[in-house]
Amino acid sequence: MSSDVRFTDFKSDKQPTWCPGCGDFGTMNGMMKALANTGNDPDNTFVVAGIGCSGKIGTYMHSYALHGVHGRALPVGTGVKMARPDIEVMVAGGDGDGYSIGAGHFVHAVRRNVDMSYVVMDNRIYGLTKGQASPTSRSDFETSTTPEGPKQPPVNPLALALASGATFIAQSFASDALRHQEIVQEAIEHDGFGFVNVFSPCVTFNDVDTYDYFRDTLVDLEEEDHDPTDYEAAKQVVLDSEKEYQGVMYRDETSVPYHEQHGVTEDMSDIPDEAPDDAMDLVREFY
Amino acid sequence: MAEDLNWAIGGEAGDGIDSTGKIFAQALSRAGRHVFTSKDFASRIRGGYTAYKIRTSVEDVQSVVDRLDILVALTQRTIDENLDELHEGSAIIYDGERSWEAEIPDEMTAVDVPLKSLAEDAGGAIMRNIVALGAACEITGFDVEYLDEALEKRFGGKGSKIVENNKEAARLGQEHVEENYDLDHLGYNLETTDEDYVLLNGNEAIGMGALAAGCRFYAGYPITPATTIMEYLTGRIEDYGGHVVQAEDELSAINMALGAARGGARAMTATSGAGIDLMTETFGLVATSETPLVITDVQRSGPSTGMPTKQEQGDLNMALYGGHGEVPRFIVAPTSITECFWKTVEAFNLAEKYQTPVFLVSDLAMSVTEQTFPPEAFDMDEVEIDRGKLVDEDEVDEWLDAQGRFRAHAVTEDGVSPRSIPGATDGAHMSTGLEHDELGRRTEDEDERVQQVDKRNRKVETAKEQEDWDYREFGDPDADNLVISWGSNEGALVEALGYLEEEDVDVRVISVPYIFPRPDLGEEIEAADDVVVVECNATGQFADVIEHDVLTRVKRINKYTGVRFKADELAEEITDKLTEEVPA
Repeated sequence: MSSDVRFTDFKSDKQPTWCPGCGDFGTMNGMMKALANTGNDPDNTFVVAGIGCSGKIGTYMHSYALHGVHGRALPVGTGVKMARPDIEVMVAGGDGDGYSIGAGHFVHAVRRNVDMSYVVMDNRIYGLTKGQASPTSRSDFETSTTPEGPKQPPVNPLALALASGATFIAQSFASDALRHQEIVQEAIEHDGFGFVNVFSPCVTFNDVDTYDYFRDTLVDLEEEDHDPTDYEAAKQVVLDSEKEYQGVMYRDETSVPYHEQHGVTEDMSDIPDEAPDDAMDLVREFY
Repeated sequence: MAEDLNWAIGGEAGDGIDSTGKIFAQALSRAGRHVFTSKDFASRIRGGYTAYKIRTSVEDVQSVVDRLDILVALTQRTIDENLDELHEGSAIIYDGERSWEAEIPDEMTAVDVPLKSLAEDAGGAIMRNIVALGAACEITGFDVEYLDEALEKRFGGKGSKIVENNKEAARLGQEHVEENYDLDHLGYNLETTDEDYVLLNGNEAIGMGALAAGCRFYAGYPITPATTIMEYLTGRIEDYGGHVVQAEDELSAINMALGAARGGARAMTATSGAGIDLMTETFGLVATSETPLVITDVQRSGPSTGMPTKQEQGDLNMALYGGHGEVPRFIVAPTSITECFWKTVEAFNLAEKYQTPVFLVSDLAMSVTEQTFPPEAFDMDEVEIDRGKLVDEDEVDEWLDAQGRFRAHAVTEDGVSPRSIPGATDGAHMSTGLEHDELGRRTEDEDERVQQVDKRNRKVETAKEQEDWDYREFGDPDADNLVISWGSNEGALVEALGYLEEEDVDVRVISVPYIFPRPDLGEEIEAADDVVVVECNATGQFADVIEHDVLTRVKRINKYTGVRFKADELAEEITDKLTEEVPA
């Protein structure tokens, strides 16, 4: 691992095709800086991307990466981390990918507490399919598929994570570059599943959850004197229906990541070029 | 053919039928006898009807037959279900003190053993089935000491008291029969030999093959009958630094395995029934991202929930065509329990050599059948591991473009690209299910699209040339009658040859372990007068494939009752089929 890694080393030479002004630019920059600041380099980093606008991140970043099937990024990340405890794994997705088709995987990835970071670009809309309601859309948010709004409450990913046994829950805002980068960095450094929901506005299809809206309403937990190690305080914050927050809501300092719990320590890619020495013992077991 | 003996124990689910059967199978195996077991069970934890059947001989046995000599009946239904297979010389062990009135046909020998009372005398009613095993030893003239060995193996971990109690229970059952019955006229006398056999089922063989091949990661979701692969690997794979994850569903399981494979591990998942449907979503991703992955499908009776505990070979089309778009793949279908082991090893090599999904298609019959083999059948020195074009740090440099970017999907003559795994300096690259260029970056350029599709398909062509896609052959190679089969029907077919020989019917049997690519059977079919394709499904999926390959019609034998083929019935069906006209 080299010590002189710059965040631009994590950038590929592909120019993003996101709409000008998309929150994902800022989200990605923060992720790259956070990776570089935590001593990682592209050759020991694996990024798993979902499907949708957010999923394009694997193409615009430079590292080992897989851009997979809609909703299944977390299981892929889990597999990479199991096989390679020595590799930094970061999973990136969107609100549709993570909280709709991938909601089941989200709950279980949180429970497993796999040592990886999960950055969700939440724009409260389906962007790549041109503006349908997402699981985090407001109940009265009018779209082509919900002309009168979804008429159902949005998913609360922070509360879902807490209820699923999360050991690290945070929220950031793509436009607040430094805070976003710090928060992602904390998620990377956390020993366990580091979950960050990022408000990443869609300037094309969402005229409600805009940069201005978040700038005007977002409350920073640092200014609220919030103690992220206090579970009860975390509960209050994630269930607060009046305000939206940025910062680390919850951090379990006793967190033991999955691979340590299960004694997975070895690089599984390294195998002998023949059957194991004691392999005949496996046969003899059947006497 | 040497005398064989057919034994069964049947009762309600929850009666310990399975473990009792396994103990007796183990005892016979220890005595140097060959064993072939089959299970009859319903998908429930308690109640209903379930049976464990054993066919044993001093010679190799590879199939079940329609005959039952000794039956331990814990319920009347066990007797009723097996009336067709019982005969005048059959002995039925039952407990006359139990609340049910056993109705046993007069011509059979009823052996009333107070199983529960004797078990209580030995230390607990739970051992009543062991009393029955002792009784069976006496009826069959089988040395009860082999049963002792099996009991030690089964209960050794639970302490010597439990082992001793069980041995005592067996003795009490044996003595009860010895003192109260004279059954010499039945003529059962189980010989023993000095052979040392191992006893295992197809799923255990697959699990063992995975470990031998260096599989380090397994993710799966419990589903009958694939679960026992996961159970075998759990607790063993850790000894080699590996890990098993019970995923939240099959979608997750295959994606976790894919992730581990991207990390450079040899990885596998296994499923059955609807589980393979769920995994289909990811087939194309595995193929397009060029990830080596072994996907095992232990077929069971479908469609939908179908008959989860019954035999079928209904997923052939799914394996061949599952997934949207055109997905290059290999399909390997072991034809016996030993082949389950060897084909698993081969599947891992194919997956890494060609960076492609490999479907290992087994079936329920093989997965639940315990069979004896000499340990040399699994000679670990014969296991070879080929990791294909996995490049290390030094070799990465050969595959960089002018800008120093790794060409993970380089267009090569054989279609196989170099593969770098995380940690290899300068090997970082993106892989995707999107169509991509050599660097793995999304493209919709017409030329690049065609290049990449051709490259992936060329891997299959390369494999067709480089690998041995051979078939297994039995019977008379010059016979005019050709019978073709795939999967686990092989054993029953091989035994059917004996019956056919008695009827003077000459048959050549070809058993095909490779579904795609597959051996070209053109010449063999051309040389035969009559061609019959045998499979456990209703529509003849493999027969369709064969007809498509050779552009000629074949005859079909299909069984879709949920029960595997039996050697004797198969011989009869083949004889009948040979007299029929070829379908127009």
